[in-house]
Amino acid sequence: METAGYATLSRQSGLMREMRVIANNIANSATTGYRQEGLIFSEFVQSSPGQQSLSMSRANIFNTSMEQGQLTNTGGSFDFAVEGDGFFMVETPQGERLTRSGAFSPNAAGDLVTMDGYRVLDAGRAPVFVPPDAGKIEVGADGSISANGRLLGQLGLFKPMESHTLVREDGVMFRVNGEIEESLDSKVLQGFLEGSNVNAISEVTRMIEVQRAYEMGQSFLQSEDERIRNAIKNLIKT
Amino acid sequence: MRALKIAATGMSAQQLRVETISNNLANMNTTAYNARRAEFADLHYQQISRAGSVNASDGTVLPTGVQVGLGVRPAAVSVHLAQGALQQTNNDLDVAIDGKGYLEVTLPSGQSAYTRDGALKRTAEGLIVTSDGFAVSPEITIPDDATSISINAEGEVYGYFSETTEGQLLGQLSLASFTNPKGLEAIGSNLFTETEASGTAAVSTAGEDGLGTFRQGYLEASSVDAVREVTELIEAQRGYEMNAKVISAVDQMMSATTQVR
Repeated sequence: METAGYATLSRQSGLMREMRVIANNIANSATTGYRQEGLIFSEFVQSSPGQQSLSMSRANIFNTSMEQGQLTNTGGSFDFAVEGDGFFMVETPQGERLTRSGAFSPNAAGDLVTMDGYRVLDAGRAPVFVPPDAGKIEVGADGSISANGRLLGQLGLFKPMESHTLVREDGVMFRVNGEIEESLDSKVLQGFLEGSNVNAISEVTRMIEVQRAYEMGQSFLQSEDERIRNAIKNLIKT
Repeated sequence: MRALKIAATGMSAQQLRVETISNNLANMNTTAYNARRAEFADLHYQQISRAGSVNASDGTVLPTGVQVGLGVRPAAVSVHLAQGALQQTNNDLDVAIDGKGYLEVTLPSGQSAYTRDGALKRTAEGLIVTSDGFAVSPEITIPDDATSISINAEGEVYGYFSETTEGQLLGQLSLASFTNPKGLEAIGSNLFTETEASGTAAVSTAGEDGLGTFRQGYLEASSVDAVREVTELIEAQRGYEMNAKVISAVDQMMSATTQVR
Protein backbone atom coordinates (compact mmCIF):
# COMPACT_ATOMS: atom_id res chain seq x y z
CA MET A 1 0.00 0.00 0.00
CA GLU A 2 1.24 3.47 -0.89
CA THR A 3 0.89 4.92 2.57
CA ALA A 4 3.48 7.69 2.31
CA GLY A 5 1.63 9.30 -0.56
CA TYR A 6 -1.72 9.21 1.23
CA ALA A 7 -0.36 10.63 4.46
CA THR A 8 1.24 13.52 2.56
CA LEU A 9 -1.92 14.09 0.58
CA SER A 10 -3.96 14.51 3.77
CA ARG A 11 -1.43 17.08 4.97
CA GLN A 12 -1.49 18.90 1.63
CA SER A 13 -5.27 19.24 1.52
CA GLY A 14 -5.21 20.46 5.13
CA LEU A 15 -2.64 23.10 4.21
CA MET A 16 -4.81 24.23 1.29
CA ARG A 17 -7.68 24.59 3.73
CA GLU A 18 -5.53 26.59 6.12
CA MET A 19 -4.50 28.86 3.25
CA ARG A 20 -8.16 29.62 2.68
CA VAL A 21 -8.61 30.48 6.35
CA ILE A 22 -5.58 32.80 6.19
CA ALA A 23 -6.86 34.40 2.97
CA ASN A 24 -10.20 35.00 4.66
CA ASN A 25 -8.55 36.55 7.72
CA ILE A 26 -6.44 38.88 5.59
CA ALA A 27 -9.42 39.78 3.39
CA ASN A 28 -11.31 40.73 6.56
CA SER A 29 -8.49 42.73 8.11
CA ALA A 30 -10.60 45.90 7.69
CA THR A 31 -13.95 44.42 8.73
CA THR A 32 -15.44 46.03 11.83
CA GLY A 33 -15.79 43.56 14.69
CA TYR A 34 -14.30 40.61 12.75
CA ARG A 35 -12.77 37.82 14.84
CA GLN A 36 -9.68 36.04 13.54
CA GLU A 37 -10.15 32.39 12.71
CA GLY A 38 -7.54 29.71 13.22
CA LEU A 39 -7.18 26.09 12.22
CA ILE A 40 -5.70 23.32 14.35
CA PHE A 41 -4.28 20.14 12.86
CA SER A 42 -4.86 16.86 14.60
CA GLU A 43 -3.66 13.30 14.02
CA PHE A 44 -6.06 10.91 12.46
CA VAL A 45 -5.14 7.25 12.73
CA GLN A 46 -6.55 4.89 10.20
CA SER A 47 -6.38 1.32 11.31
CA SER A 48 -6.19 -1.35 8.68
CA PRO A 49 -6.71 -4.93 9.86
CA GLY A 50 -3.64 -7.15 9.59
CA GLN A 51 -1.46 -4.23 8.56
CA GLN A 52 0.26 -1.33 10.17
CA SER A 53 -2.07 1.51 10.98
CA LEU A 54 -1.71 4.73 9.01
CA SER A 55 -1.36 8.08 10.68
CA MET A 56 -2.78 10.98 8.70
CA SER A 57 -3.12 14.65 9.36
CA ARG A 58 -6.49 16.28 9.69
CA ALA A 59 -7.38 19.96 9.93
CA ASN A 60 -10.70 19.66 11.64
CA ILE A 61 -10.77 21.97 14.60
CA PHE A 62 -11.16 25.66 14.25
CA ASN A 63 -10.96 28.33 16.87
CA THR A 64 -11.99 31.94 17.04
CA SER A 65 -9.65 34.47 18.56
CA MET A 66 -11.53 36.52 21.14
CA GLU A 67 -8.75 39.02 21.57
CA GLN A 68 -9.84 42.65 21.78
CA GLY A 69 -9.60 44.41 18.41
CA GLN A 70 -8.18 47.86 18.04
CA LEU A 71 -10.59 50.66 18.95
CA THR A 72 -10.95 53.51 16.49
CA ASN A 73 -12.45 56.81 17.52
CA THR A 74 -15.10 57.74 14.96
CA GLY A 75 -17.07 60.25 17.02
CA GLY A 76 -20.36 58.90 15.61
CA SER A 77 -23.13 58.92 18.23
CA PHE A 78 -24.41 55.53 17.01
CA ASP A 79 -21.00 53.86 16.74
CA PHE A 80 -20.37 51.50 19.61
CA ALA A 81 -17.53 49.21 20.63
CA VAL A 82 -17.52 46.57 23.34
CA GLU A 83 -14.62 46.34 25.71
CA GLY A 84 -14.58 42.88 27.24
CA ASP A 85 -16.09 39.57 26.19
CA GLY A 86 -19.64 40.79 25.50
CA PHE A 87 -21.56 40.95 22.22
CA PHE A 88 -24.48 43.02 21.00
CA MET A 89 -27.58 41.03 20.19
CA VAL A 90 -29.44 41.57 16.93
CA GLU A 91 -32.71 40.16 15.69
CA THR A 92 -32.54 38.50 12.26
CA PRO A 93 -35.28 36.60 10.42
CA GLN A 94 -33.36 33.43 11.38
CA GLY A 95 -33.33 34.25 15.09
CA GLU A 96 -31.17 36.07 17.58
CA ARG A 97 -27.52 36.60 16.64
CA LEU A 98 -24.51 38.06 18.44
CA THR A 99 -22.15 40.61 16.91
CA ARG A 100 -19.21 42.77 17.91
CA SER A 101 -19.74 45.15 15.00
CA GLY A 102 -21.40 48.19 16.57
CA ALA A 103 -21.88 50.50 13.56
CA PHE A 104 -25.59 51.08 14.13
CA SER A 105 -28.02 53.76 13.04
CA PRO A 106 -31.71 54.42 13.62
CA ASN A 107 -33.96 53.45 10.71
CA ALA A 108 -36.92 55.43 9.38
CA ALA A 109 -39.16 53.97 12.11
CA GLY A 110 -36.72 55.01 14.85
CA ASP A 111 -35.48 51.50 15.69
CA LEU A 112 -31.74 51.10 16.13
CA VAL A 113 -30.51 48.78 13.35
CA THR A 114 -27.24 47.30 12.09
CA MET A 115 -25.73 48.07 8.70
CA ASP A 116 -27.72 45.16 7.26
CA GLY A 117 -30.96 46.55 8.70
CA TYR A 118 -31.43 44.05 11.56
CA ARG A 119 -32.80 45.46 14.81
CA VAL A 120 -30.51 45.76 17.81
CA LEU A 121 -31.90 44.29 21.03
CA ASP A 122 -31.71 45.74 24.52
CA ALA A 123 -30.98 44.05 27.84
CA GLY A 124 -34.52 42.61 27.89
CA ARG A 125 -34.13 41.30 24.31
CA ALA A 126 -36.61 43.87 22.91
CA PRO A 127 -35.76 46.25 20.02
CA VAL A 128 -34.06 49.51 20.97
CA PHE A 129 -36.12 52.55 20.03
CA VAL A 130 -34.59 55.99 19.60
CA PRO A 131 -37.16 58.81 19.21
CA PRO A 132 -36.36 61.00 16.15
CA ASP A 133 -36.58 64.22 18.17
CA ALA A 134 -34.46 62.90 21.05
CA GLY A 135 -31.59 65.31 20.50
CA LYS A 136 -28.08 64.29 21.47
CA ILE A 137 -27.79 60.61 22.39
CA GLU A 138 -25.48 59.63 25.22
CA VAL A 139 -24.59 56.03 25.96
CA GLY A 140 -23.06 55.02 29.27
CA ALA A 141 -20.53 52.26 29.89
CA ASP A 142 -23.30 49.84 30.88
CA GLY A 143 -25.12 50.48 27.58
CA SER A 144 -27.80 52.77 29.01
CA ILE A 145 -29.04 55.18 26.34
CA SER A 146 -30.16 58.62 27.39
CA ALA A 147 -31.07 61.90 25.71
CA ASN A 148 -31.29 65.18 27.62
CA GLY A 149 -31.10 63.31 30.92
CA ARG A 150 -34.01 61.01 30.00
CA LEU A 151 -33.32 57.27 29.98
CA LEU A 152 -34.44 55.70 26.69
CA GLY A 153 -33.28 52.12 27.12
CA GLN A 154 -30.23 49.97 27.56
CA LEU A 155 -28.17 48.17 24.93
CA GLY A 156 -27.96 44.51 25.81
CA LEU A 157 -24.57 42.85 26.22
CA PHE A 158 -24.51 39.09 26.02
CA LYS A 159 -22.03 36.28 25.78
CA PRO A 160 -22.29 32.56 25.14
CA MET A 161 -22.07 30.34 28.21
CA GLU A 162 -19.32 28.39 26.46
CA SER A 163 -17.27 30.19 23.82
CA HIS A 164 -16.93 27.15 21.53
CA THR A 165 -20.69 27.20 20.86
CA LEU A 166 -20.25 30.25 18.61
CA VAL A 167 -20.91 29.51 14.93
CA ARG A 168 -19.89 32.05 12.33
CA GLU A 169 -22.41 33.57 9.99
CA ASP A 170 -22.04 36.22 7.33
CA GLY A 171 -22.35 39.87 8.26
CA VAL A 172 -19.93 39.53 11.21
CA MET A 173 -22.59 37.70 13.21
CA PHE A 174 -22.44 34.61 15.36
CA ARG A 175 -25.11 32.03 16.06
CA VAL A 176 -24.95 30.40 19.46
CA ASN A 177 -25.51 26.65 19.67
CA GLY A 178 -26.22 26.74 23.36
CA GLU A 179 -27.02 29.00 26.25
CA ILE A 180 -26.56 32.77 26.16
CA GLU A 181 -26.01 34.75 29.33
CA GLU A 182 -25.67 38.42 30.11
CA SER A 183 -22.15 39.76 30.06
CA LEU A 184 -21.74 41.83 33.19
CA ASP A 185 -18.07 42.75 33.00
CA SER A 186 -18.14 44.30 29.51
CA LYS A 187 -18.25 47.99 28.77
CA VAL A 188 -19.85 49.90 25.90
CA LEU A 189 -17.87 52.75 24.38
CA GLN A 190 -19.78 55.33 22.40
CA GLY A 191 -18.12 56.96 19.39
CA PHE A 192 -15.73 54.06 18.91
CA LEU A 193 -15.68 51.08 16.57
CA GLU A 194 -13.75 47.91 17.21
CA GLY A 195 -11.57 47.03 14.25
CA SER A 196 -10.82 43.53 13.06
CA ASN A 197 -8.62 41.62 15.52
CA VAL A 198 -6.64 39.98 12.71
CA ASN A 199 -2.96 40.11 13.54
CA ALA A 200 -1.48 40.99 10.15
CA ILE A 201 2.10 40.05 11.00
CA SER A 202 1.29 36.59 12.36
CA GLU A 203 -1.08 35.91 9.45
CA VAL A 204 1.52 36.79 6.82
CA THR A 205 4.14 34.74 8.67
CA ARG A 206 1.76 31.79 8.87
CA MET A 207 0.96 32.23 5.17
CA ILE A 208 4.66 31.89 4.26
CA GLU A 209 4.97 28.86 6.55
CA VAL A 210 1.96 27.19 4.94
CA GLN A 211 3.26 27.92 1.46
CA ARG A 212 6.69 26.47 2.22
CA ALA A 213 5.23 23.44 3.99
CA TYR A 214 3.04 22.84 0.95
CA GLU A 215 6.01 23.06 -1.41
CA MET A 216 7.94 20.69 0.85
CA GLY A 217 5.07 18.22 0.67
CA GLN A 218 5.01 18.48 -3.10
CA SER A 219 8.75 17.86 -3.41
CA PHE A 220 8.38 14.90 -1.08
CA LEU A 221 5.65 13.50 -3.32
CA GLN A 222 7.96 14.05 -6.29
CA SER A 223 10.90 12.20 -4.74
CA GLU A 224 8.52 9.44 -3.65
CA ASP A 225 7.35 9.23 -7.25
CA GLU A 226 10.97 8.87 -8.43
CA ARG A 227 11.73 6.27 -5.80
CA ILE A 228 8.86 4.07 -6.96
CA ARG A 229 9.81 4.64 -10.60
CA ASN A 230 13.39 3.54 -9.93
CA ALA A 231 12.21 0.56 -7.91
CA ILE A 232 10.05 -0.64 -10.83
CA LYS A 233 12.86 -0.02 -13.31
CA ASN A 234 15.32 -2.04 -11.22
CA LEU A 235 12.82 -4.84 -10.78
CA ILE A 236 12.35 -5.10 -14.56
CA LYS A 237 16.14 -5.20 -15.14
CA THR A 238 16.73 -8.09 -12.77
CA MET B 1 -8.42 27.65 -5.73
CA ARG B 2 -10.86 29.37 -3.38
CA ALA B 3 -8.08 31.16 -1.50
CA LEU B 4 -7.41 33.13 -4.70
CA LYS B 5 -11.01 34.32 -4.88
CA ILE B 6 -11.08 35.12 -1.15
CA ALA B 7 -7.98 37.30 -1.53
CA ALA B 8 -9.60 38.95 -4.55
CA THR B 9 -12.64 39.96 -2.45
CA GLY B 10 -10.17 41.43 0.05
CA MET B 11 -8.44 43.41 -2.67
CA SER B 12 -11.67 44.85 -4.03
CA ALA B 13 -12.76 45.76 -0.48
CA GLN B 14 -9.51 47.66 0.10
CA GLN B 15 -9.94 49.32 -3.27
CA LEU B 16 -13.40 50.55 -2.27
CA ARG B 17 -11.81 51.91 0.92
CA VAL B 18 -9.22 53.83 -1.10
CA GLU B 19 -11.95 55.18 -3.37
CA THR B 20 -13.94 56.40 -0.37
CA ILE B 21 -10.84 58.00 1.15
CA SER B 22 -9.90 59.72 -2.11
CA ASN B 23 -13.40 61.15 -2.39
CA ASN B 24 -13.17 62.43 1.20
CA LEU B 25 -9.81 64.05 0.53
CA ALA B 26 -11.05 65.56 -2.73
CA ASN B 27 -13.89 67.15 -0.75
CA MET B 28 -11.68 68.56 1.99
CA ASN B 29 -12.80 72.09 1.16
CA THR B 30 -16.38 71.40 0.14
CA THR B 31 -18.86 73.38 2.21
CA ALA B 32 -20.65 71.22 4.81
CA TYR B 33 -19.26 67.96 3.40
CA ASN B 34 -19.35 65.00 5.76
CA ALA B 35 -16.71 62.27 5.47
CA ARG B 36 -17.82 58.84 4.26
CA ARG B 37 -16.50 55.60 5.65
CA ALA B 38 -16.55 52.21 3.97
CA GLU B 39 -17.80 49.44 6.27
CA PHE B 40 -17.20 45.75 5.61
CA ALA B 41 -18.76 42.49 6.71
CA ASP B 42 -17.61 38.92 6.23
CA LEU B 43 -19.18 36.73 3.56
CA HIS B 44 -20.96 33.44 3.91
CA TYR B 45 -19.23 30.57 5.74
CA GLN B 46 -18.82 27.14 4.26
CA GLN B 47 -19.53 24.37 6.76
CA ILE B 48 -16.91 21.67 6.28
CA SER B 49 -17.89 19.74 9.35
CA ARG B 50 -20.81 20.89 11.39
CA ALA B 51 -20.45 21.69 15.05
CA GLY B 52 -22.48 19.22 17.05
CA SER B 53 -22.26 16.37 14.55
CA VAL B 54 -21.68 12.97 16.07
CA ASN B 55 -18.04 11.95 15.87
CA ALA B 56 -18.12 8.43 17.25
CA SER B 57 -20.57 5.63 17.99
CA ASP B 58 -20.48 6.41 21.70
CA GLY B 59 -22.13 9.73 21.01
CA THR B 60 -19.07 11.99 21.16
CA VAL B 61 -20.02 15.25 19.57
CA LEU B 62 -17.73 17.60 17.63
CA PRO B 63 -17.52 20.71 19.79
CA THR B 64 -16.68 23.27 17.13
CA GLY B 65 -16.66 21.92 13.60
CA VAL B 66 -14.88 23.61 10.72
CA GLN B 67 -16.18 26.67 9.00
CA VAL B 68 -14.23 28.38 6.29
CA GLY B 69 -15.18 31.90 5.34
CA LEU B 70 -15.46 32.98 1.73
CA GLY B 71 -14.11 36.50 1.99
CA VAL B 72 -15.39 39.99 2.60
CA ARG B 73 -18.08 42.25 1.16
CA PRO B 74 -18.75 45.96 1.47
CA ALA B 75 -21.67 46.37 3.90
CA ALA B 76 -22.14 50.12 3.71
CA VAL B 77 -20.49 53.37 2.85
CA SER B 78 -21.90 55.37 5.70
CA VAL B 79 -21.82 59.09 6.20
CA HIS B 80 -20.08 60.18 9.34
CA LEU B 81 -22.38 62.94 10.50
CA ALA B 82 -20.37 65.58 12.26
CA GLN B 83 -20.59 69.31 12.65
CA GLY B 84 -17.92 71.00 10.55
CA ALA B 85 -16.07 74.03 11.84
CA LEU B 86 -17.80 77.36 11.23
CA GLN B 87 -15.82 79.69 9.02
CA GLN B 88 -16.47 83.38 9.06
CA THR B 89 -17.16 84.85 5.62
CA ASN B 90 -19.02 88.08 6.59
CA ASN B 91 -21.27 87.49 3.63
CA ASP B 92 -24.92 88.53 4.16
CA LEU B 93 -26.35 85.44 2.54
CA ASP B 94 -23.97 82.86 3.97
CA VAL B 95 -25.75 80.88 6.66
CA ALA B 96 -24.26 77.97 8.57
CA ILE B 97 -26.47 75.49 10.40
CA ASP B 98 -25.20 75.03 13.93
CA GLY B 99 -26.67 71.66 14.94
CA LYS B 100 -29.06 69.22 13.29
CA GLY B 101 -31.13 70.00 10.21
CA TYR B 102 -31.10 70.60 6.48
CA LEU B 103 -32.24 73.45 4.25
CA GLU B 104 -34.93 72.39 1.81
CA VAL B 105 -34.48 73.35 -1.85
CA THR B 106 -36.70 72.78 -4.86
CA LEU B 107 -35.09 71.11 -7.86
CA PRO B 108 -36.15 72.14 -11.39
CA SER B 109 -38.16 68.87 -11.53
CA GLY B 110 -40.28 70.11 -8.63
CA GLN B 111 -38.80 67.47 -6.31
CA SER B 112 -37.42 68.52 -2.93
CA ALA B 113 -33.76 68.12 -2.05
CA TYR B 114 -31.95 68.90 1.18
CA THR B 115 -28.60 70.53 1.85
CA ARG B 116 -26.44 71.88 4.65
CA ASP B 117 -24.53 74.11 2.27
CA GLY B 118 -25.73 77.58 3.27
CA ALA B 119 -23.79 79.59 0.68
CA LEU B 120 -26.96 81.25 -0.58
CA LYS B 121 -27.20 83.71 -3.45
CA ARG B 122 -29.92 85.85 -4.92
CA THR B 123 -31.20 85.82 -8.47
CA ALA B 124 -31.86 88.88 -10.64
CA GLU B 125 -35.46 88.76 -9.35
CA GLY B 126 -34.24 88.77 -5.75
CA LEU B 127 -35.14 85.13 -5.01
CA ILE B 128 -32.89 83.35 -2.48
CA VAL B 129 -31.24 80.37 -4.20
CA THR B 130 -28.33 77.95 -3.59
CA SER B 131 -25.02 78.24 -5.45
CA ASP B 132 -26.50 76.02 -8.18
CA GLY B 133 -29.53 78.29 -8.56
CA PHE B 134 -32.13 76.06 -6.88
CA ALA B 135 -34.75 78.02 -4.94
CA VAL B 136 -34.74 77.60 -1.17
CA SER B 137 -38.10 76.46 0.20
CA PRO B 138 -40.10 78.35 1.52
CA GLU B 139 -39.32 80.92 -1.17
CA ILE B 140 -38.07 84.28 0.03
CA THR B 141 -37.65 87.27 -2.26
CA ILE B 142 -35.41 90.20 -1.36
CA PRO B 143 -36.60 93.51 -2.83
CA ASP B 144 -34.12 95.39 -5.05
CA ASP B 145 -33.97 98.42 -2.79
CA ALA B 146 -32.94 96.52 0.35
CA THR B 147 -29.61 97.85 1.55
CA SER B 148 -28.77 95.02 3.89
CA ILE B 149 -30.14 91.71 5.06
CA SER B 150 -30.09 90.17 8.46
CA ILE B 151 -30.85 86.55 9.26
CA ASN B 152 -31.31 85.62 12.90
CA ALA B 153 -30.79 82.31 14.69
CA GLU B 154 -34.39 81.20 14.01
CA GLY B 155 -33.95 81.88 10.29
CA GLU B 156 -36.06 85.01 10.09
CA VAL B 157 -34.86 87.14 7.17
CA TYR B 158 -35.09 90.91 7.70
CA GLY B 159 -34.50 93.47 4.99
CA TYR B 160 -33.26 96.97 5.80
CA PHE B 161 -34.19 99.87 3.55
CA SER B 162 -32.59 103.29 3.35
CA GLU B 163 -35.69 105.23 4.36
CA THR B 164 -36.61 103.19 7.42
CA THR B 165 -34.46 102.22 10.35
CA GLU B 166 -36.71 99.32 11.35
CA GLY B 167 -36.09 96.03 9.58
CA GLN B 168 -38.86 94.43 7.57
CA LEU B 169 -39.58 90.68 7.89
CA LEU B 170 -39.25 89.12 4.42
CA GLY B 171 -39.71 85.47 5.33
CA GLN B 172 -38.32 82.68 7.45
CA LEU B 173 -35.93 79.88 6.54
CA SER B 174 -37.03 76.52 7.91
CA LEU B 175 -35.07 73.38 8.70
CA ALA B 176 -35.90 69.81 7.77
CA SER B 177 -34.89 66.85 9.92
CA PHE B 178 -34.91 63.10 9.36
CA THR B 179 -35.16 60.10 11.66
CA ASN B 180 -32.12 58.57 9.97
CA PRO B 181 -30.09 61.25 8.19
CA LYS B 182 -27.49 58.59 7.27
CA GLY B 183 -30.14 57.07 5.00
CA LEU B 184 -30.35 60.15 2.76
CA GLU B 185 -29.25 59.65 -0.82
CA ALA B 186 -26.48 61.98 -1.94
CA ILE B 187 -27.14 63.28 -5.45
CA GLY B 188 -24.09 65.50 -5.77
CA SER B 189 -23.78 69.30 -5.56
CA ASN B 190 -24.06 68.97 -1.73
CA LEU B 191 -27.67 67.86 -2.17
CA PHE B 192 -29.54 64.92 -0.65
CA THR B 193 -32.93 63.41 -1.36
CA GLU B 194 -35.09 61.45 1.03
CA THR B 195 -35.33 57.66 0.79
CA GLU B 196 -37.22 54.79 2.44
CA ALA B 197 -34.33 54.49 4.87
CA SER B 198 -34.20 58.14 5.91
CA GLY B 199 -37.90 58.56 6.57
CA THR B 200 -39.84 61.61 5.48
CA ALA B 201 -38.66 65.12 6.22
CA ALA B 202 -40.08 66.84 9.30
CA VAL B 203 -39.99 70.56 8.57
CA SER B 204 -39.82 72.86 11.57
CA THR B 205 -38.43 76.12 12.85
CA ALA B 206 -34.74 76.36 13.65
CA GLY B 207 -34.00 76.00 17.36
CA GLU B 208 -37.08 73.85 18.04
CA ASP B 209 -37.50 70.05 18.28
CA GLY B 210 -33.77 69.53 18.81
CA LEU B 211 -32.91 71.33 15.54
CA GLY B 212 -29.91 73.57 15.09
CA THR B 213 -29.84 77.30 14.65
CA PHE B 214 -28.71 79.59 11.82
CA ARG B 215 -25.60 81.70 11.91
CA GLN B 216 -25.39 84.49 9.39
CA GLY B 217 -22.01 85.35 7.91
CA TYR B 218 -20.58 81.87 8.47
CA LEU B 219 -20.22 78.74 6.37
CA GLU B 220 -19.85 75.20 7.68
CA ALA B 221 -16.50 73.75 6.62
CA SER B 222 -16.01 70.16 5.50
CA SER B 223 -15.71 67.77 8.46
CA VAL B 224 -13.02 65.67 6.76
CA ASP B 225 -10.13 64.95 9.13
CA ALA B 226 -7.09 64.84 6.85
CA VAL B 227 -4.86 63.07 9.38
CA ARG B 228 -7.36 60.26 9.86
CA GLU B 229 -7.90 59.90 6.10
CA VAL B 230 -4.18 59.63 5.40
CA THR B 231 -3.73 57.07 8.21
CA GLU B 232 -6.61 55.07 6.75
CA LEU B 233 -5.06 55.37 3.30
CA ILE B 234 -1.84 53.79 4.55
CA GLU B 235 -3.81 51.00 6.20
CA ALA B 236 -5.83 50.39 3.06
CA GLN B 237 -2.73 50.31 0.89
CA ARG B 238 -0.97 47.81 3.15
CA GLY B 239 -4.15 45.74 3.34
CA TYR B 240 -4.26 45.66 -0.43
CA GLU B 241 -0.63 44.56 -0.64
CA MET B 242 -1.21 41.84 1.93
CA ASN B 243 -4.10 40.42 -0.07
CA ALA B 244 -1.94 40.55 -3.20
CA LYS B 245 0.72 38.62 -1.27
CA VAL B 246 -1.83 35.88 -0.53
CA ILE B 247 -2.59 35.63 -4.23
CA SER B 248 1.08 35.21 -5.13
CA ALA B 249 1.54 32.64 -2.32
CA VAL B 250 -1.42 30.60 -3.56
CA ASP B 251 -0.10 30.95 -7.10
CA GLN B 252 3.24 29.46 -6.02
CA MET B 253 1.44 26.62 -4.24
CA MET B 254 -0.47 25.94 -7.44
CA SER B 255 2.69 25.92 -9.47
CA ALA B 256 4.24 23.49 -6.98
CA THR B 257 1.22 21.27 -7.54
CA THR B 258 1.51 21.30 -11.30
CA GLN B 259 5.20 20.45 -11.15
CA VAL B 260 4.52 17.09 -9.54
CA ARG B 261 4.40 14.36 -12.12
